[in-house]
Amino acid sequence: MKKIKDFINKADIRRFRFWLQLFFFILFIYGGYFSINLGNSIPVFSCGYDKEVGGMCYFLPLQHQLARPLDVLFSVASISVLIGFVTFLVWFIVFNKAWCGYACPLGTMQDWLTGLRKKLGIRYSTYTQPQFDKLKKIKYILLAIVILAPMAVGMGLLGGEWRTAFCSICPGRMITPLFVGDVSQWSLDFSTKSAMILTTLGLVFTGLFVVGSFIKKRFFCFFCPMSAMHYIFSDAALLKLKKDGDKCTKCGDCYTVCDMQIKDIADDVKSTNILRDDCILCMKCVAACPEDDVLHVDFINYPIFKSTKGGFAKRMQMDELEKKDD
Amino acid sequence: MTKEMREHKIETPKEKQNRHKAMEAKTVLQKIKHEFKEPPKAMDYFYNLYESVHCRHEPLHNDKIKVGTMCIQVPAEIVYALDAVPIRLCNGFYTDDEIGSDFLPSKACPLVKATVGQFASDNFSDKPDIVISPTTCDQKAKSGAIIEEMGYKLFDMEFPRTKESEESREYWRRSVRKFTKELSTDLGKKITRKKLKEAIKKVGYAQHLYHKLNVLRKNIATPILGVDMFLVTNAFFFDKIDNWIEAVDALVQECEQRVEDEFSAAHKRSPRIVYTGSPPIFPNLKVPLLIELSDAIIVADETCSSNRMFNDMVSVDEWFVNDMIDSVADRYLKGCTCPIFTKNEDRKRRIIDLVKDYKADGVVYQAFAGCQVYEMEQRSVLDAMEKEGIPIIYLESDYSPSHMGQLTTRIEAFVESLKNRRRKR
Repeated sequence: MKKIKDFINKADIRRFRFWLQLFFFILFIYGGYFSINLGNSIPVFSCGYDKEVGGMCYFLPLQHQLARPLDVLFSVASISVLIGFVTFLVWFIVFNKAWCGYACPLGTMQDWLTGLRKKLGIRYSTYTQPQFDKLKKIKYILLAIVILAPMAVGMGLLGGEWRTAFCSICPGRMITPLFVGDVSQWSLDFSTKSAMILTTLGLVFTGLFVVGSFIKKRFFCFFCPMSAMHYIFSDAALLKLKKDGDKCTKCGDCYTVCDMQIKDIADDVKSTNILRDDCILCMKCVAACPEDDVLHVDFINYPIFKSTKGGFAKRMQMDELEKKDD
Repeated sequence: MTKEMREHKIETPKEKQNRHKAMEAKTVLQKIKHEFKEPPKAMDYFYNLYESVHCRHEPLHNDKIKVGTMCIQVPAEIVYALDAVPIRLCNGFYTDDEIGSDFLPSKACPLVKATVGQFASDNFSDKPDIVISPTTCDQKAKSGAIIEEMGYKLFDMEFPRTKESEESREYWRRSVRKFTKELSTDLGKKITRKKLKEAIKKVGYAQHLYHKLNVLRKNIATPILGVDMFLVTNAFFFDKIDNWIEAVDALVQECEQRVEDEFSAAHKRSPRIVYTGSPPIFPNLKVPLLIELSDAIIVADETCSSNRMFNDMVSVDEWFVNDMIDSVADRYLKGCTCPIFTKNEDRKRRIIDLVKDYKADGVVYQAFAGCQVYEMEQRSVLDAMEKEGIPIIYLESDYSPSHMGQLTTRIEAFVESLKNRRRKR
């Protein structure tokens, strides 16, 4: 048992993550080809506009459901809405935000763009702290759009094209179907004025998505409303990111490697549950922590992956001297 | 009478200084070597190294450009990546302390005085080609200018006095980038990705070895004495890094064997001490020696001449030159528990953690008379320890050989009280 633990704690998490991400990418984007369907309450952006989707992003059905007239929405007929939501919660609660770091196809695409940038030898950019503090609020505004826009349609305040307003501006709608050779989403909808605005915004955001995540690690995740939705329920999740502040030296190694620039991970020595709303639970911080047991990922209070001195040295290739060629 | 004896030879001031320094060094080495249980065999490397450098004044780095550093905040990784050797000039010699007294206020810190004294006498076995002075404490920052006036090439490296804010982090990163650029121009060497990565990994490996050795001290049968550990870490100031790595590697293996054999460097009931405060630098190992001669053992320390030099590691996400430089910069600021910072909760947390982790019985807080920041932080650390129920003693000392009686009495009494406390439990 100790050996297994030791093996996990010293594991090269990047490789593990790469393969797991690839697995989920194929599962969600190409699942249809293998007749896999995990339902339509999946807590990641596995876009429903992809005809072969192996499990649909919860936001598409949610928006459709919320667009019912109010009296229907709050009647027994909406038990299906509730069931969808409970299914979403069940999926989410098991893995917490690890959905973002390991399963989200849109997240995986961003990591691939990052990989491409690295190959080209271009350095990443970061936000300054004040920028970061402002930008991170956008995802809550987007979440409000996800929920309120369809409800407004149901109440008759907005036209039908607002039913899936968020999907219209989500880069996933345009990009994901490309992977199964579907370019039909790449068009502007001129049917109404607001449809035109929404699809134009969608095109702009798609462009931003590609450019942004090329220069900034996990660019889109700062704005992701799904991430905001996750955070509301993350306290109930079984998988948790925890910190033992007493042992932390605040060296900031975790913060340096964090794709999401979460400062609390290094500076907060009071909280034990260190998961923040931007976190994607990629566990890079745990891998980059040079102290024993400071950061750990727990599943129902049982630590499955812990920071260790030995693991750090191994991953940074500091546990043995490099062989000189000459 | 032979001809040579009749010839009256007058000792030059430099020779006199060297003779005095050799005497200081020799006395301490003899004590460490002979007044305790047998030290690990691998320690011989270090004893010989000190004899060569500090008694015989033999140069170590003739073929390399030497970058003198005035504090631990100068990134060794970058100096190595530029094909130069960092040599830390923090000095522990009373001989030099006396020379330096002419240049600094009488109540200045002996470490700073000794450092300035060595520059004033211009007597180095490895003379630095350029001196880097980080603006850490007031006395060091100001003595940089004094040294520059003596005709040395000196680079002031700006260091922030707070470390919590994002601004200070950015400020320090810029400072390190500027340092890298200027040193690179000055030495006529370009910093490359491969070189820097190699340097980071080499220093990282040295740190990794130190950690491996250090955690062995957690064992109740602690395999190595605190004074020996101070020699090992102090040697990192000036030794060739490859030789140091090799020697520590051997030492780790020997100590691992000692742990297996349950061999203890002290006695079974020797109280376990965490040492904190002004840095003991060879040959000023006065207080650590007194502690261990009083039948206690230093199992951990929180000082910049030892643990703090190795504790925090560099982590890099993407191995590009700029990222590596930024990551290296973070290592020297973020985890640093130097008392020069405005507030220092981290230092208190660290000492408490060390006490728990290394199962220590008490803390010895030593400050040099004149080392203002350590003196000022003393009260808050004492309060924090009291809250945790950890016994602590505060000592003031300097480099002079006097006051030994008073220090001995206080330390012996403290150690005795720790023994009593243990018996009662």
